[in-house]
Amino acid sequence: MSTKTVGKATAVGPILGPVEIRPTDAARLYTHVHPMLLLAGYFFQFRSIVADPVLALTSGLLPLSVLQISYLITCLPVAGTGSTAASLRQGQRKKTGAGKNELNLGDRIVPALISFVLSFAFGAPVIAILLVLLGAPFTTHQAHTLLCAAHMSLLITSPLVYVHGVDAGTWQEIVALQAPLDDVFGSAIGTLAGAWLGAIPIPLDWDREWQKWPVTIVTGAYLGCVAGKLAGTYLFKGSRIKLS
Amino acid sequence: MSNGTVSVELDGPNGRPSKSTVNGRPPAPNTQKSLQEASSVQKQQEVHFKASHGIIVAFFTLLLILHVLGIYLFTSGFLLTRLVLEHKSDCSVPPIALTGRYDAGSADQGCWHPKTFNKAVVLIVDALRYDFTVPYRPEDYDKQPHHFHNAFPILHTTSSKQPQNAFLRPFIADPPTTTLQRLKGLTTGTLPTFIDAGSNFAGTAIDEDNLVAQLRNANKRIVHLGDDTWHALFPDYFDPELTHPYDSFNVWDLHTVDNGVIEHLLPLLNPSNTSKWDVIFGHFLGVDHAGHRYGPDHPAMTAKLNQMDSVFRQVIDLLDEDTLLVVMGDHGMDAKGDHGGESDDEIQAALWMYSKRAAFGRTSPAYIQPPAHAKERPVAQIDLVPTLSLLLGMPIPFNNLGAPIEEAFIGSNGKDIENLALVNRLTGAQIHRYQREYARAQNLDATIQSPTLALWSTANEKFQDLQATKATKAEQWQNVFEAFSSYQQQNLSVCRSLWARFDLINIALGIAILISSFGLLLVYARSMHKDRADLTPVIFTRGALGVIMGLALGTGSTYVVTPDRLVPFSAFGAAMGGALGMASGLWSVRVALVSILPRDFWGWLAVVFTILPCIGFASNSYTIWEDEILLFFLSTFGILTLVSSLRQPVPSVRWLGCYHSIIFVLLTRVASLSRLCREEQMPFCKSTYYASATSSTSAPWQLLIPFFVAIILPDVLKAFYKSTESYHETAPFAVGFAYRMGLFLVAVFWTMDAADDGDWLAHVQNPTLQSLHGTSFLKDTRMRIAQLVLAVAFIGGYATYYYAKPMLSISATPRPTSSTSTASLSISSSNVVTTTPTSAITVHGYANVHGTRYLLLPLLWSLAATLAAKPMGTGALALCLWQILSLLEILAANPHLGSASSSSIGPIVLALLGSFHYFKTGHQASLASIQWESAFIPFKTVTYPGGPAMVALNTCGPQILCAVAVPALGLWKKAPKPGRRLRAEGKGKGKGEREGEEEGDEEGSAGMDLGYLGEVAGAAATHLLYYAAVNLATTMWAAHLRRHLMLYRIFSPRFMLGAVVLLVVDVVVAWVAMGGMRWSVLSVAEVFGWS
Repeated sequence: MSTKTVGKATAVGPILGPVEIRPTDAARLYTHVHPMLLLAGYFFQFRSIVADPVLALTSGLLPLSVLQISYLITCLPVAGTGSTAASLRQGQRKKTGAGKNELNLGDRIVPALISFVLSFAFGAPVIAILLVLLGAPFTTHQAHTLLCAAHMSLLITSPLVYVHGVDAGTWQEIVALQAPLDDVFGSAIGTLAGAWLGAIPIPLDWDREWQKWPVTIVTGAYLGCVAGKLAGTYLFKGSRIKLS
Repeated sequence: MSNGTVSVELDGPNGRPSKSTVNGRPPAPNTQKSLQEASSVQKQQEVHFKASHGIIVAFFTLLLILHVLGIYLFTSGFLLTRLVLEHKSDCSVPPIALTGRYDAGSADQGCWHPKTFNKAVVLIVDALRYDFTVPYRPEDYDKQPHHFHNAFPILHTTSSKQPQNAFLRPFIADPPTTTLQRLKGLTTGTLPTFIDAGSNFAGTAIDEDNLVAQLRNANKRIVHLGDDTWHALFPDYFDPELTHPYDSFNVWDLHTVDNGVIEHLLPLLNPSNTSKWDVIFGHFLGVDHAGHRYGPDHPAMTAKLNQMDSVFRQVIDLLDEDTLLVVMGDHGMDAKGDHGGESDDEIQAALWMYSKRAAFGRTSPAYIQPPAHAKERPVAQIDLVPTLSLLLGMPIPFNNLGAPIEEAFIGSNGKDIENLALVNRLTGAQIHRYQREYARAQNLDATIQSPTLALWSTANEKFQDLQATKATKAEQWQNVFEAFSSYQQQNLSVCRSLWARFDLINIALGIAILISSFGLLLVYARSMHKDRADLTPVIFTRGALGVIMGLALGTGSTYVVTPDRLVPFSAFGAAMGGALGMASGLWSVRVALVSILPRDFWGWLAVVFTILPCIGFASNSYTIWEDEILLFFLSTFGILTLVSSLRQPVPSVRWLGCYHSIIFVLLTRVASLSRLCREEQMPFCKSTYYASATSSTSAPWQLLIPFFVAIILPDVLKAFYKSTESYHETAPFAVGFAYRMGLFLVAVFWTMDAADDGDWLAHVQNPTLQSLHGTSFLKDTRMRIAQLVLAVAFIGGYATYYYAKPMLSISATPRPTSSTSTASLSISSSNVVTTTPTSAITVHGYANVHGTRYLLLPLLWSLAATLAAKPMGTGALALCLWQILSLLEILAANPHLGSASSSSIGPIVLALLGSFHYFKTGHQASLASIQWESAFIPFKTVTYPGGPAMVALNTCGPQILCAVAVPALGLWKKAPKPGRRLRAEGKGKGKGEREGEEEGDEEGSAGMDLGYLGEVAGAAATHLLYYAAVNLATTMWAAHLRRHLMLYRIFSPRFMLGAVVLLVVDVVVAWVAMGGMRWSVLSVAEVFGWS
């Protein structure tokens, strides 16, 4: 798919700015290590996912959560503390936020946990519905689809909630894909695009075990997440997806 | 104020006092002259519109001609057809006068020739390759024996050790080497072609004369054991008590079929049971399955061949003197153990005949040893048919092309050349009789026949000479034998070249035409930035001239160069001339052309949606799963428009776009639940279109669907009309009443159809109804209902469409002193006389006057298509119509998608929608899924052209509906008059304003108001582009993959579907959609005038 991107923000509508990772050495280091860990972890588990998707994807949720939480609290700014416009808007409402850019570890873990709860409670069902609408079976393989959605949601929703909060206007902007590309939004778009592309090998009559549902989708999502993160960080940072 | 309404500060009567529904003050006397002028300008504009419109319709017709020629040429080279003759050979009617020594007609003695055996055991070992049966020879290409070598020696041993009892020869199959096609060849004696155009086109049962049918006619008791493919070909031919068919599907199972055959075969051969049957057909599948599963070079193959070896040893032991034993492979297998194609390994099977009596001989002592490899002395598989027929005393099947196998007729001493000559004469005579009937049935070119006819008369003369002489010598018989034999061979090669060969020149010419017409269509659709209505005349004129000149040139060239290709060259000349003419027309307007490359995201998306399936058609998997791929694309589109809608600045527009995007995706997914799976989709697909996977009738609950459609769909349409306050004038009658009644009648029709099928009348309690049981009441009534629906749709519908006024309602209010209405729109047309304003009027339905007026046309076609679809299909078509309307709203809410002239996504998604619903109305890209019975919806008997038209409406209903809806893309929510900048005040007029601006660019160049004609032509051309691309891709892939194993099952049917759909959509776009647009635009112009 071709997505044209243009330069900095347009005049009307979008107000979110790109997310900057936290200005600490740990953050700068871990933001590079994290994608490698994600991929390494995934491909370490790949055989067992192919063998028994439900079991392996279920047990994979915990390591993925640990990796994502470490990424969130190490690298990303909590909603309201970063430099984005929405977080400024939110920050004005919050008493703690304004002016104070650095929170202690405990204050960062709570939003991370909240973002995880929201990822499971809202993100995963919404993504599962999208998967079904795009052709995933729904009379069978429900566990497979839900687990696939849960993995995708951890990759997409949790960082977005963590850095952007739950403001409705912000989320309209995010769903409209109007947020500027950065580490977080890039990986979200990449995950979706990767999962979309992951559907392509399914119909082929190669009779391979890995063609079974939802292995290719999850694989595409992980690869896309990392590719999108790299693209968002290095190639298109700050630019916006143009749909016209 | 709502979108659909506009307040006009009217400055006078609206151009046409007589027609105007507006009550203004009568025009002042001094305005009469300018009124007349205005009227004449209006008249000119109308004439101009009609002329431009006619030329655009003609242009699309020219494209249709190009497509027809291209597809015709390709097809004539690719799909070689053979006519199936109904004639059957008769025991008492020999094809030629028999010699004095024998009387025809007694099946006990032998019909045309004395028989050799009373009974036969014919055993097929599926995929028995010739080299499985002969000893391994080190000098071969192989360094050492493979697993399939030397494991099955019995055939070779018997034929070399007891040459009078057995012979073994290579047995060459005619491709395609699939079991079904092979069984046809092995029983009919004729060559396979893709289409055997006979009465039983849809089913698989053989309706040509064949050996099994002849045996049954002679009251032979026939037993079948093994592969159940036989039962598809010969339903109810076999003795039901002794026959044991087995499922042939599971290639992983090596033993069930074989063990079943052995279990039932050996007892039948026991002397106590031999009186129960005359002929046994046994079909072993283990060797084939071992090949598919493991490949030939595997210990499992050795084991399987060893098993066969021991089975045949037992059969030989049990056989009596009066029984012929035949063992053969129906085809071979390639190095991987698969088959279907025409490689040497796939076509080289083995044939072995055995008898306890000394029945077989050799024409030369050198032939006692069976051929060492399959290149040596092979026989064709069709030769089995006359051989077996004559050995068993049956008449030779009418359409047989094969020759008697010499070992079986030369006598055990190898000297009975007379017998061999006589059977060859009989066979030749039958072939000659068949050719005569075939030529009569098809008016076959006499030049093709002439060489074979000469050989036939030569052979006959030789025979007459021989009859005349008293003492005949063996050499004379040898001559006669050779003469008849060469006639048979020559004839076979002629037929082979006619029926089983691709004509690469025609294929190439056809593809060349399709490529050039695709290129022209692409440029016409995607690279014009000026009004197409102005540019089309020159393109069309030059194209039409080109066709005429090209036709002359093509025809002329055949006289000079190749006289035997008159038709192809003329067709090619006409098409290429037309293409070059259009290209020169395009060249002459090249200033109006820009790059064909998309300019935005949605344009690229449209390209992706078109190109990905086209690439995918090269793979059998993506062709098989096309329905799921279309679902994926359509849902992707809906999700992306949801994203895009969320970006719209005006909240009402934004939520409207979101709402319809969600509806679009949901309806897509709901429609996707209706499926009719093709065989290749199993086991990953569950058919829901009919009551069960094995039935072709609807389940009772499915009969409710048409009623739901009748209740809900008109209300859905009403809501769309109401959203722009357009539910006025004809709309309540047409949509709310006539359309609903039509849908109810459709529902009643399908209920009565089900009642008839299910014989419900027999079970009802009501005596009045029950008394109708057994009469043709249901059939007659439902036929009348169907005819009524068609009359409502086409006669009533077109009359309404022709006469209807735009869906407007006008209310007048005393003119306010100041402009209080924020949405008031000031139209002060130059040709309208300005007088003192007297009143302010509100025009309801203004915003979508074109769209709602035009929509009547798709509606009437949707009613007709709904009748042709089955109950489940009515639901799919209703969803399709709803999705079309949602798509129109989505496009209207998202400006950058909406303008048909600037973005291709609308017409392409409409084409995806049509293709998607093709699968949702119970079809697949396979011949088997054609619903032939729909020809009898409004008729009792086969009726031309009504019957085929109903089948076409059933098959292409969704594509037709979507194609008819194409002009709506250019007309939906457009202001009454294009080409002029509308000045809207305030918000809520977003659409009118936007269109006004977009049209603004073209205003200067066009100068004339052509009622969105150019835009709609662009949308129509883009819509065609999808189908043309699919057609081109499937055509080229089919030609490229013409040796592919899956050609007959997957690629050819998909090519045929693509071609048929392209032509149907061509016709519909040109004559129904573009043609029908005329009346809609004229009726709007009647009210609003031309600019």
